[in-house]
Amino acid sequence: MKNPITYLEAISEGLREEMRRDKSVFLLGEDIGTYGGAFKVTKGFVEEFGEDRVIDTVLAEAAIIGAATGAAIVGMKPVAEMQFADFVTNGFNQLVNVTARYHYRNFIPVPLVVRLPFGAGLRGGPFHSVSPESWFFHIPGLKLVAPSTPFDAKGLIKSAIRDPNPVLYFEHKYLYRHIKGEIPAEEFVVPIGKADIKREGTDLSVITYSAGVHWSLEASELLSKEGVSVEVVDLRSLLPFDEEAILQSVRKTGKVLIVHEDTLTGGIGAEIAAVIGAKAFKYLDAPVERLAAPDTPVPYAPTLEEYFLPNAQKVARAIRRLAEY
Amino acid sequence: MPPVLTKSKTARSGSSNNHVLKPEQLLRFYTLMRLTREFEDAVLRLYQQGKIVGGAYSGNGNEATSVGSASALRKEDYLFPLHRDMGAHLVKGQSLLNLMLQHLARDTGLTKGRDGTGHYTDPKLRIYGNISPLGAMVPVAVGVALASKLRNEHAVVMNYIGDGGASIGEVHEGLVMASAMRLPFVLIIENNHFAYSTPTTKQFLVEKLSDRAIGYGIPGVTVDGTDVVSVFEACTEAVERARSGGGPSIIESVTMRMHGHAAHDNAWYVSKQLLEEWKKKDPIVRFEKFLESQGILSKQKKESIRKEIDEQIEGATKAALARPYPPGDETVKDVFAR
Amino acid sequence: MAKIEVVMPQLGESLTEGTIIKWHKKPGEKVRKDETLLEISTDKVDSEIPSPASGVVTRLLFDEQKTVAVRTVIAEIDTDENAAVTTSVPKAAAPVPAQTAPTPVVTEARRSAPAPQATPVTGRFYSPLVLNIAREEGISMSDLERIPGTGEGGRVSKKDILAYAQSRGKSGAPSPAGAAPAPTGPSAPRIESSLKHVESGDLAKKYPSPEFEILQMSNILQKMSEHMIKSVQTSPHVYAVHECDMTKVDVLRRKHAAAFEKREGFKLTYMPFICDAVIKALKQYPLVNSSIEGDKIILKKFVNLGIAVASDTGLLVPVIKNADERNFVGLARSVNDLATRTRAKKLTPADIEGGTFTITNFGVFGTMVGIPIINQPQVAILGIGSAKKRPVVINDMIAIRTISYFTLSFDHRTIDGALGGSFLEAIVRHLENFDEQQVS
Repeated sequence: MKNPITYLEAISEGLREEMRRDKSVFLLGEDIGTYGGAFKVTKGFVEEFGEDRVIDTVLAEAAIIGAATGAAIVGMKPVAEMQFADFVTNGFNQLVNVTARYHYRNFIPVPLVVRLPFGAGLRGGPFHSVSPESWFFHIPGLKLVAPSTPFDAKGLIKSAIRDPNPVLYFEHKYLYRHIKGEIPAEEFVVPIGKADIKREGTDLSVITYSAGVHWSLEASELLSKEGVSVEVVDLRSLLPFDEEAILQSVRKTGKVLIVHEDTLTGGIGAEIAAVIGAKAFKYLDAPVERLAAPDTPVPYAPTLEEYFLPNAQKVARAIRRLAEY
Repeated sequence: MPPVLTKSKTARSGSSNNHVLKPEQLLRFYTLMRLTREFEDAVLRLYQQGKIVGGAYSGNGNEATSVGSASALRKEDYLFPLHRDMGAHLVKGQSLLNLMLQHLARDTGLTKGRDGTGHYTDPKLRIYGNISPLGAMVPVAVGVALASKLRNEHAVVMNYIGDGGASIGEVHEGLVMASAMRLPFVLIIENNHFAYSTPTTKQFLVEKLSDRAIGYGIPGVTVDGTDVVSVFEACTEAVERARSGGGPSIIESVTMRMHGHAAHDNAWYVSKQLLEEWKKKDPIVRFEKFLESQGILSKQKKESIRKEIDEQIEGATKAALARPYPPGDETVKDVFAR
Repeated sequence: MAKIEVVMPQLGESLTEGTIIKWHKKPGEKVRKDETLLEISTDKVDSEIPSPASGVVTRLLFDEQKTVAVRTVIAEIDTDENAAVTTSVPKAAAPVPAQTAPTPVVTEARRSAPAPQATPVTGRFYSPLVLNIAREEGISMSDLERIPGTGEGGRVSKKDILAYAQSRGKSGAPSPAGAAPAPTGPSAPRIESSLKHVESGDLAKKYPSPEFEILQMSNILQKMSEHMIKSVQTSPHVYAVHECDMTKVDVLRRKHAAAFEKREGFKLTYMPFICDAVIKALKQYPLVNSSIEGDKIILKKFVNLGIAVASDTGLLVPVIKNADERNFVGLARSVNDLATRTRAKKLTPADIEGGTFTITNFGVFGTMVGIPIINQPQVAILGIGSAKKRPVVINDMIAIRTISYFTLSFDHRTIDGALGGSFLEAIVRHLENFDEQQVS
C-alpha cells in the first residue's frame, strides 16, 4: 500500500496511469496544460505527455465536449475537463443531443469521459458549487460516477476511461484535499455500477455518495455510542446504480435514510426512494427518508452555505429521528 | 476532347483557381447532380404517399453545392453533411438502398429505424450525418479534425451549415477551436437565402457570410453555389490547404432554396419573382447546357443516364419498401455499447 | 437560529382536524424537545403533543378551544438547531383508546387464555415489515395488539416484535387456536379475514410437545372466526344496556311451568317470553329488522328470529322462520325444536339461513352483562344476561326483584342511539308488562 494520498492525488494517479497505458487517451480542457489545471489535478502532465495529449483548449465548453465527442466517435479516448461542473451547461446540448444519443442511433461507441469538479463547501458561491448530477441522471445514454474516497476515485477514473460509453465523472472539490486514504500499489479498477458498504450495521441504512459518505460515517460513529447500528452504503456509481446492494441493505435493516448534497426535489434520492418503495415495501419498518440541501441555489456567505449544506450533525439528527420511529 | 478550363467567380483576391477537369469528371458531376435531384423527388413522392413518415427534406437547387464540394474530398476525408446535401452522400458512395432504408425507417437501415432522413453514420464511407440541432455537429466535426491531426491521418473534415444555422453559438465555438488549433477543417456555409421562413435580410448584416472568416483569422471565400465547377474548385483549394496544415477555411456557397423548408412547407412566404429568377439558374439545367455546348453530353447520353438513374431509384425504392419496420422491443436495446 | 413550525398532527388516518384544548407553554417560554407543548382533542382520541424541538416558543397561532385542520401550523419555535429538511410533525404520545372493551365469543372455554401481557392498544399502525414478521412468526393480530411498542406513537417497531418473538419462545403458549372467552382482541382494523392454513409440521418445530399441543380449528370454528371478524369490520357497533325487571315474567313462568310441561312435553323457559317481546318491538321499530346494501336499507316484512345455541361442535344460530306469525306457544315450541335438533346435530342448512334478528342468551353461563357481535347481515343483536335477584328502588322503596341486563348491539350505519335505546326499551316494557293471557 502507498502512503495515504489525497483524493485529488488519486485522480491524478489514475489519469496518469491510463495515459501511460493507452496512447489514444488524451486530455482536453481549460488551463489543464501549462497551469496544471485550476485545482492542479493535471500538474506535470503536459511535461510528461506533451501538448498533443494535454490540450489547453479555448474557453468554449460546447466545443470542448463536442470535440471530445468527435474524437471519441473516431476511436480516440478523450477525457474532457469542465473547469467547474457549473459550466457544463454551456455544453449541455452536446451531451444530450449528440453524445448520449450517438450509440443508440448509430451503434458506434463513444468512449468519452467528462470530469466535473462539483460540490460546495469552499465558499464558491452559486456558480462554482453546483451538484448537477440529477440533470444527467435523466438522460439515457450517459453513465455517472461519484467516488467518495481516494481508492474509489482512482479505481473509477480508470473504469470510466476504459468504458466504451460516455461517463460523467463527478469529483468533489471539497474532498480533493480534505480526504486522504490508502490505495494499493498494484493495478486495480472499481467497476461501474457497484456500490460499496462503507460501514456495516443492522438498525438503519444510509444510502449516499460523495461528500455524503463522510458526513454519514461521522454521524454513524456518534449514533453507535447511542446504541444505534448504522449501515452506510456508498453508491459510487449514480447511473447505473447498484439496486441490489441497496435493496439488500434495506431488507437487512428496514429503515432507510438517503443523503445527498444535491438539492432535495428531483435529486437522485427521489428515484432511489421510489425503487425502495416499490421493491422493498414488505421490508420497510419506517417511511423512506431523505436528507438533502434545500431547493435553492448555493449561497455565498459562510452562514448561508452552512445552513444550505448537510453535515454530520444534520445527518446524525435525521438518523436518530428515524431510529426512534 | 480538349480539357475544359473554368474560372470561379467572386474568388478572394490573390487566389487563382484554374483547374483542369477531364470530361469524365464533368460527366460524373452531372450524373451525380441528376441522381440527387431524381432521388429527392422520389423521396418527396414517398412522403406524399404517406410511406415516409414525420418529415422529408430536399436540397432542390443545392445540387451543385453538395456535389461540387464533396467531390473535393478523398476517400479518407470525413463528411459532415446537412439535410440538403444528399448529393454529398452520393459523391461519397452511399448506396441508394441504404438511403431509402434510412428514409423509410426500415429494420436494416443504417440506424435500424432509430433515426430518419440523413441522420445516420457510415464510418466506412466516413459519412457522419447531421442531427436536427444543425449547429451541434460543428464542434463534433472539429473533434474529428482534432483526432485526424493528433493521429497524423492527413484527413480533412468537411462540415456544412446553413445561413440560419450559422447563428448558433456552437458554430462559433467550433470555429474558434478549429482556427486556434489550426485543425484540418472546412466549413461550407450554404446560403440559400432562407432559414425556414426567415430571409437572410433578417439574419445578419454582413453582405458575405464568408467575411465572418476574418473574425477567426482564416480564409473565407464566397462562390456561386449553382456552378458546380466553381464550388469544386473553391473546395479543392480549401481542402488541400487544410490537409497540408494550413488550418480551416470558410466557403460560402450561394444558392436558392427552391422548395419549402420541408415537404410540409410550400414556402408561400418566398416571392414568386425570386423563385423565377433562380429557376433560370437551375444548376443542373445550366450544367446540361454547358456540357451539351462542349459536346460532352449528347441527347442520347442524357436520356440513357436518366434511364439508368430512374431504374436505380426504382430498384432501391422497391427493395427498401419490402423490408419491415424494426420490431417494437428493439426500442430498449443499444443505449450503451458493450 | 432556526424557526421550527409546529403543525396540528394527524393522530389517526381519517382525522382531518383537531381542537386545541390547552397550551402548556406561552410565547417567550423555553421548551425542551419532547416536553409537552399542548393538549389536543380529536374525534377519536385526546392526546398530549410533545415539542418537536428545543428552543423558545415564539408564536402560538391559535387560541385554546379552536379547531384547526391537520397539518396547519399552530405554533412556532425558535431553535438553535439548523433546520433539517425532513418535516417536523410532532409525535403524539400513545393515544388512549376511546373504544369499549372487546366482545366475548359465546362458547365454552376450551383453553384458559394466557394472562395478557399488556393492555391491548387499538388503532396502532403496523408497518409492512412488522406485519411480515408477524405472519412469519405466527403471531396473531390479537397478540400483536398486546406487544408493547417503543416506536413512534407507541407503535410496534421491528425491534419490539423481534424481541417479543424471541421471548415468546421461552415464556409460554401463544394465543391458542381455539376461541377464548377472555378478551380476544378489540375491533382492530386491517385483520386478515380469511384464516391462513398453516401446516402443523411447520408449527411442531416451534411448539414442540409436551409443552404445546396443536389443534386444528374445525370448519365451524373457522367459519365462526371469519364471520366474527367480518362482522366487526362491516358494522360500526354501538351498544345499549338496559335493565329489565323480569319479575313478572318469572312469576308467570313459575305459575304455568308445570301445566305447560305436562301439555307440551318440554320445560317452559324465559325464551318464548323474550322472543315474543322482541317480535312485538320489531314490529314497532321495523328498521331494526333490516339489512344494508350500500346506501340502501332492505326492510324485511317478516321476522326470522335467530336464537344462538351453544353446542359441543360450536356456536350455531338456528332461525325460527316467520316467527311473527307464531303465538306464544308456537314460539316456545319452535325454540325447543331448534334447541333439540341442534344438540342432536339434526339441523338443516335452511335452519340456519335467513335470520333477520338474533337473540343470544349468555346469561345461562352466568354472564351478567355481555356485548355481543352482530350476526351479519342483520343490523342488531340482543344479548340476555343472567337473571338475578337484586335490590331495586320502586316507588321510593327498596324491593327485591329479578333483574336481567339486556344488551342491544346495533349497527350505527342505520340505527342510532335513540332508535336502539327505544327499541330495547320497548322489549323491556313488553317483558315487564307481559300479558298473562298469552301464556295460557
